[in-house]
Amino acid sequence: MTTRRMAHDVAIVAMGCTPFGDHWGSSADDLLVDAVGECMASLPGLSLDDIDAFWVGTQGTGLSGQVLARPLRLVGKPVTRVENYCATGSESFRNAVFGVASGAYDVVMATGVEKLKDSSQSGLSAVLPPADGTDVDWTAPAGFSLLVPAYQKAYGVGDRDMRGALTHVAVKNHANGALNRRAQFQKAVTPEVVERSPRVAGPLGVMDCSGVSDGAAAAVIVRAEDAHKYTDKPVYLKGMSFVAGSGAGLAATGYDFTTFPEVVTAAEEAYEQAGVTDPATQISLAEVHDCFTPTEVVLMEDLGFSERGKAWRDVLDGRYDLGGALPVNTDGGLKSFGHPIGATGLRMMFECFTQLRGEAGERQVADARLAVAQNLGGQPGSSVAFVAVLGSER
Amino acid sequence: MPEQNGIGAYAAYLPAYALASNSLEGAEPRPGAPVRSVAAYDEDAVTMAVEALREITAGASAGDRLVLATTSAPYDGKTSAGIVHAALGLDPAVVAADLHGNRSGATALDLMVRAGGVAAVSDVRMTRPHAPDELAQGDAAAAFTAGDAAAVLLARTGRTAEVLDRWRLPGERHDRVWDERFTAEVLVAAAREAAQRALADAGLDAADHVAVASPNARAAAVLRRALGGSGADAEVERQTGYTGAAHLGLLLAATLDTAEPGQTILLLSAAEGADAFVFRVGDGVRSARAGRPVREQLAGRERLGYGRYLHWRGLLDVQGPARPDAPSPAAPPMYRRAGWKYRLEGALCDACGGITTPPARACASCGGVGADEAGSVPMNRVSLRDRVATVVSVTRDRLTTMPDAEVAIVVADVEVEGTGGGRLNAYATDVVPEAVTVGMTMRPTFRRLWTTDAIHNYFWKLRPWEATTNDD
Repeated sequence: MTTRRMAHDVAIVAMGCTPFGDHWGSSADDLLVDAVGECMASLPGLSLDDIDAFWVGTQGTGLSGQVLARPLRLVGKPVTRVENYCATGSESFRNAVFGVASGAYDVVMATGVEKLKDSSQSGLSAVLPPADGTDVDWTAPAGFSLLVPAYQKAYGVGDRDMRGALTHVAVKNHANGALNRRAQFQKAVTPEVVERSPRVAGPLGVMDCSGVSDGAAAAVIVRAEDAHKYTDKPVYLKGMSFVAGSGAGLAATGYDFTTFPEVVTAAEEAYEQAGVTDPATQISLAEVHDCFTPTEVVLMEDLGFSERGKAWRDVLDGRYDLGGALPVNTDGGLKSFGHPIGATGLRMMFECFTQLRGEAGERQVADARLAVAQNLGGQPGSSVAFVAVLGSER
Repeated sequence: MPEQNGIGAYAAYLPAYALASNSLEGAEPRPGAPVRSVAAYDEDAVTMAVEALREITAGASAGDRLVLATTSAPYDGKTSAGIVHAALGLDPAVVAADLHGNRSGATALDLMVRAGGVAAVSDVRMTRPHAPDELAQGDAAAAFTAGDAAAVLLARTGRTAEVLDRWRLPGERHDRVWDERFTAEVLVAAAREAAQRALADAGLDAADHVAVASPNARAAAVLRRALGGSGADAEVERQTGYTGAAHLGLLLAATLDTAEPGQTILLLSAAEGADAFVFRVGDGVRSARAGRPVREQLAGRERLGYGRYLHWRGLLDVQGPARPDAPSPAAPPMYRRAGWKYRLEGALCDACGGITTPPARACASCGGVGADEAGSVPMNRVSLRDRVATVVSVTRDRLTTMPDAEVAIVVADVEVEGTGGGRLNAYATDVVPEAVTVGMTMRPTFRRLWTTDAIHNYFWKLRPWEATTNDD
């Protein structure tokens, strides 16, 4: 089913995204109001009353559709809250898309929000249901750091080369974030800063990790044929897939921690829908889930941008730099833009939307026509994965 | 039941760590000073009892009773032996019960020898930092099953003397001790009487081996001299400290490690009275031991710094990372998944031969839905508890909620003949995190992961296999 065309093609006609960062002075409600407000400001003549249905993605900031209905004081509207780990923002988008693609609604809004900084804890935390106490209490960096020794062993990559590739990812994404007024960290960093940062898990230091931040984002989605009623520069959804992994990678033998099979499947399906046959040359830019630096390295292979076992080399060669053949995380990525769980997937769309409309300013990728937004959650061996292909032409 | 009362199999368990100095200034230990055996932060009387018992109950029947003796039960009220029973996977018909107090080690041994079943003696000694006997107390476990291969009981006597020697109020962490010069007199008098009576009952003037355990070091020294012991028991004690309810069993195990068939052993406890046993060493004593000899375990330990020891014991309140406590387990899922939690059982798929951990209705390898109640693919349970696991990938968590700056976490594969093998995700223990590498072999060990909301969370970790490989 996932490879079949939907009843209606859809387009994004407006988006909003708050700056990500330490919003000590704002609540989740405030952030949602800001993101939705920015989104609606670009649609003169359209009010929230004209939106038929809403989705809101959040992992731990609130429960039920009232997370959005209350701050916006929506009256008589259907609002659905969704959650899918760090792919929550994408899940909000995906379900909103289905609302239009199915013909049920004409105009819908996808939103995502997370308020992480009000806790005083390091990294992410989640409230889990009662259990038997046998699960390893992984930190997120610990889970993702498993990629490093496994990848090195599988492809014979030495410590220095691997460290160099990880560092390059961090340096590159901070350099991109430095060009972005909405990013959490708008400062370029040197390789020394990355490599001297305090170690957190395995070979990963603080500077190998994404920014823990607050933020919200929003998108308005309509049928593709209606898009020009709202904007001169709609962005079209060309392909989209989502896979919730079976978790077998942690529950049985076989998985080797060098790939995200869920991403591979999702990418194949999205590319097929979009008619992409050679992503390495056809994709103009990609926003990928660089929650930790080794994640981005492995994703270059899972998305078909690099050959298996060669991504570390392509990363070092600058292939994914802003001026490279296939710029990745032009807005700074999770690494420097920040990662408020429920908002991240939509933040990726926001950058693709901005680039495909030619509005990215200093970060603009020349002649951007086709962009990939890839978002995942969970951990290697047990993840959920989303891939979308967006285009400037229908 | 055996034809004669005695010991069929035995094992001792010493934790991997030893403390040789309790100098806050970092001074080197004095030559010849006592060394204390230290349970790791993830060990307690229950986990050490499991490690001592797991080898000797693997193939043999546990009889109808498991008794656990300790002065450091991890719960008040709740029975510790029940947790040991679950981890060993004993038949539900085996009754599990605790014995408490300074005399409980001797009582457990007595019960087992005379009435059958299995006995575990296990203790963690909590002294106040810089207490005079801090390095003279220690942590250990030993275990015994009924039988006659290792030793036969020739005589058994006891004396009761109600005396305020060593005590602790409920909720207190550290023992209080009366002037040992006074209590030594009481204990020595009781113990000499008990020993003489036991030897007489056994028709002996003296025994080939003498082992004396007493919380009162002065009493132990006097009795060892008076009974003509070789001092081998004192030598073990200098390297472990007095291990409480476990000590009599530890000294007996160390004696059995070296005793020859036909020799006699006088085993004497001087605590709140006295308990004396006279054994004749059995013909099967060499094969009656499970696990490594006591002296080999003593030699293989790692020296621990005093600061780390204090931190492990909660005697030094150290700022940890800004992370929430690890979640506490809940009773119904613990009960439903007891096979996994306590016996490390995965589900074996009849269709593809893959093992799924934790066990689930659907196979993680082929997706076939198992037939716990109704379904197409039979799923059997297979325990990975005693298997060797090979590390697939490893990380070092430096934001751990455990009392160490970093902990290695591994994904490891277990080979099981005739199957596709199984996978374990587990904390590594008894190892420096940087020493854990891809391809390393490890083996499950029962540990206390953490305690949250007053619930101890027991589960299996992995320790380097080389540390236990000499068992066989």
